[in-house]
Amino acid sequence: MRVNPNPVSDLLAALNRSRQDTQDALLQLSSGRRVNQPSDDPAAAALLIDNRDRTTFTARYQQSLTSLQGQFQTADSTLNSVVLALQRALTLGIQGGNGTLSDQDRASIVSELQGIQDQLLSLANTTFQGRYLFAGTQTNTLPFVLDNTQPSGVRYDGNDAVNTVQIGDGYRLASNKPGSQIFSAPGHDAFLAMTGLIQSLQANTGVDTAVGTLRDAFDYVSGQRVFYGNSMNQAQAQSTYLGSAQLQLSSQENTLGGADVEAAASRLVNSQNATNATLAAIGRISQLSLFDYLQ
Amino acid sequence: MSGLYGSLSVALSALLTSQQALETSANNVANANTPGFTRQRPVLVPGDPVVLGRLSFGTGVVLQKLQSLRDPILELRLNQETQGEGKLDSMLSALQQIQVNFSGTDSGIGDAISKFFDSLQQLSTDPTNPSLRQGVLTAAGNLATAFNTTAKNLQSQRGNLDLNVVQTVGDINTLTAQIANVNQQIENLENVHEDASAFLDKRGTLIRQLSSLIDVSVIQTEHGITLTTSSGTPLVAESRSFALSTLTGGGGMHSVFSGTTDITGSISAGKLGGLLSMRDTQIPALQDNLDQLASGLATALNTAHRAGFDLNGNAGGDLFVPPPAGGAGAAGALAVAITDTSLLAASSDGTPGSNGNLATLSAVHDQAVAGGQKPLDFYSHIVFQVGSDTANTSADLDASQLILQQLEDQRSSISGVSLDEEAANMIRYQTAYQAAARVITTVNQMLDDVVNLGRY
Repeated sequence: MRVNPNPVSDLLAALNRSRQDTQDALLQLSSGRRVNQPSDDPAAAALLIDNRDRTTFTARYQQSLTSLQGQFQTADSTLNSVVLALQRALTLGIQGGNGTLSDQDRASIVSELQGIQDQLLSLANTTFQGRYLFAGTQTNTLPFVLDNTQPSGVRYDGNDAVNTVQIGDGYRLASNKPGSQIFSAPGHDAFLAMTGLIQSLQANTGVDTAVGTLRDAFDYVSGQRVFYGNSMNQAQAQSTYLGSAQLQLSSQENTLGGADVEAAASRLVNSQNATNATLAAIGRISQLSLFDYLQ
Repeated sequence: MSGLYGSLSVALSALLTSQQALETSANNVANANTPGFTRQRPVLVPGDPVVLGRLSFGTGVVLQKLQSLRDPILELRLNQETQGEGKLDSMLSALQQIQVNFSGTDSGIGDAISKFFDSLQQLSTDPTNPSLRQGVLTAAGNLATAFNTTAKNLQSQRGNLDLNVVQTVGDINTLTAQIANVNQQIENLENVHEDASAFLDKRGTLIRQLSSLIDVSVIQTEHGITLTTSSGTPLVAESRSFALSTLTGGGGMHSVFSGTTDITGSISAGKLGGLLSMRDTQIPALQDNLDQLASGLATALNTAHRAGFDLNGNAGGDLFVPPPAGGAGAAGALAVAITDTSLLAASSDGTPGSNGNLATLSAVHDQAVAGGQKPLDFYSHIVFQVGSDTANTSADLDASQLILQQLEDQRSSISGVSLDEEAANMIRYQTAYQAAARVITTVNQMLDDVVNLGRY
């Protein structure tokens, strides 16, 4: 059979293909990515969008946790100060219950207790980044205000609502505890107990009962610290989990779209060899002609 | 007729045919690199013999004709494959431009969707923070812009394809007119039984070019050839050509007409077929998908947004300008409805510090908003579709080009000029010429001998 006498166009097509291969390999090596456009691997390109979304969210959960942890720490240390203040108030109350005290001694105890009451009010109105921590979701409103019409002398202007913040897929953490459930819970109202103690010391009657009520309130407030302790533990655990999830996502992304450097490098070498071989073939073929041998 | 004069005339015929054969070789060599050229071969036959009694003497050699070596079936297959290749080539270049819009994982619609929902999460840790509220509005604006940009790019690409359609129709008309002209020349030559080989080659090349532009069927008739599209629209009938025309039709796009018949939908191959398929089917389908996504996402987010309360305790309004009914054009028109950060409805109970409605808005991330799918799943599917269409078209084009190359090889193995072959032939013809010249010298000497007989 007669063969194609002009194979140069075939060789040029082959040259074009091997040059294309070289270019693909170079793009992979320079970008570090195997999937540079959807047609490189349509399924991987689609999965990479989901991967990127998860990565974005995982990073966001981490940042939310950092923000929550700051808030929890402020609240926890505030409650720690509250507990210490109430502890001092209890000590003072027990001293004041001693019947041998003079009126003057009791008056100075009452005065110190009033100071503690002011301190409590100030602590209950603590802010974090400009927001009231113990106001429920009324974070722009001063939650505890002096109000003589109330038996405790303090009115709660916040609400009972709780915000939750997402810290994982389907995992939400409460970010606050309303002040009404910490400082002025019915039956454990710290302000009411303080006012009661001050009033009984001033009247010098029923001091023991008032101290008992304050002890209840003290125990209750101490118990509320558990909420923040638990939340901080959960945040810490979730943060660790998210860290490993991030690693997994990034390794998945690399598997899906990252360049296989060794494969790309060997493809580069192969395609360059092919280019050289084709070029050599073209050079040889153009030298072969019967005309050269006829004189 | 025999005798010395007979030998002289036989030798003369050999000299003449050797020259003619050499001329054929020379023409082949000259056209070795001419595209579409078909090599020719001299067909030599012995001259009619002269009978003298019981003997018959040869009368030399005659060049009967020059045979062009071409395979019509192969030409047909080449034309068909060229039509497919032309279509795939124009589709691939359009698809490669389209997929640029869907290439980035750090940009584009997918990224904008992720970042919008991310901004909601960020705000949920501090729902009254003005800069975080602005962050949500900015992310919503970026989301709208991403849809707008992609929709605009797709539309301008349709516009470019449309321009290309008009140009291609012009190219087709030029070619069909040329083919009709060549047909006339072939007919003129064949009417007087002359060799039309050069014009046949020219026509073959023109039909190849036409095949890369539109689907062509070649019908051989008594007086030449007729070209139609595969659905029967006439393009060339012997020496007449039928120009196609374009008219602006629906959506500002041009329709292709043959006479008064709209043939836009029936052009199935060639560059024009590919352009029309991209312009009228593939890109509109993609636009429709984006509109569905934009409309579904905006509607779901608006519903969620209206369920909440803004910073002033008022019920939330629309976050995005409500998409057009039916969704057509939603991606291009997507826009954020509010600019005042206090109007962002983050609260679920009317208190400013509540973040409850952000959870409702965030939940849209996992809601079926378009085609029964979550927003990003739907978008991923679009990306997959664009990617696999491009990859498949690219693979089909490679395959088609390989087939074309093989067919070209076959064509060349039959019709292509081999310089080695021509060199060898030239030696043969030269030797034959030398030998015939030698015969004449010999006859000359013998005639000399006859003339000088008895002179001594």
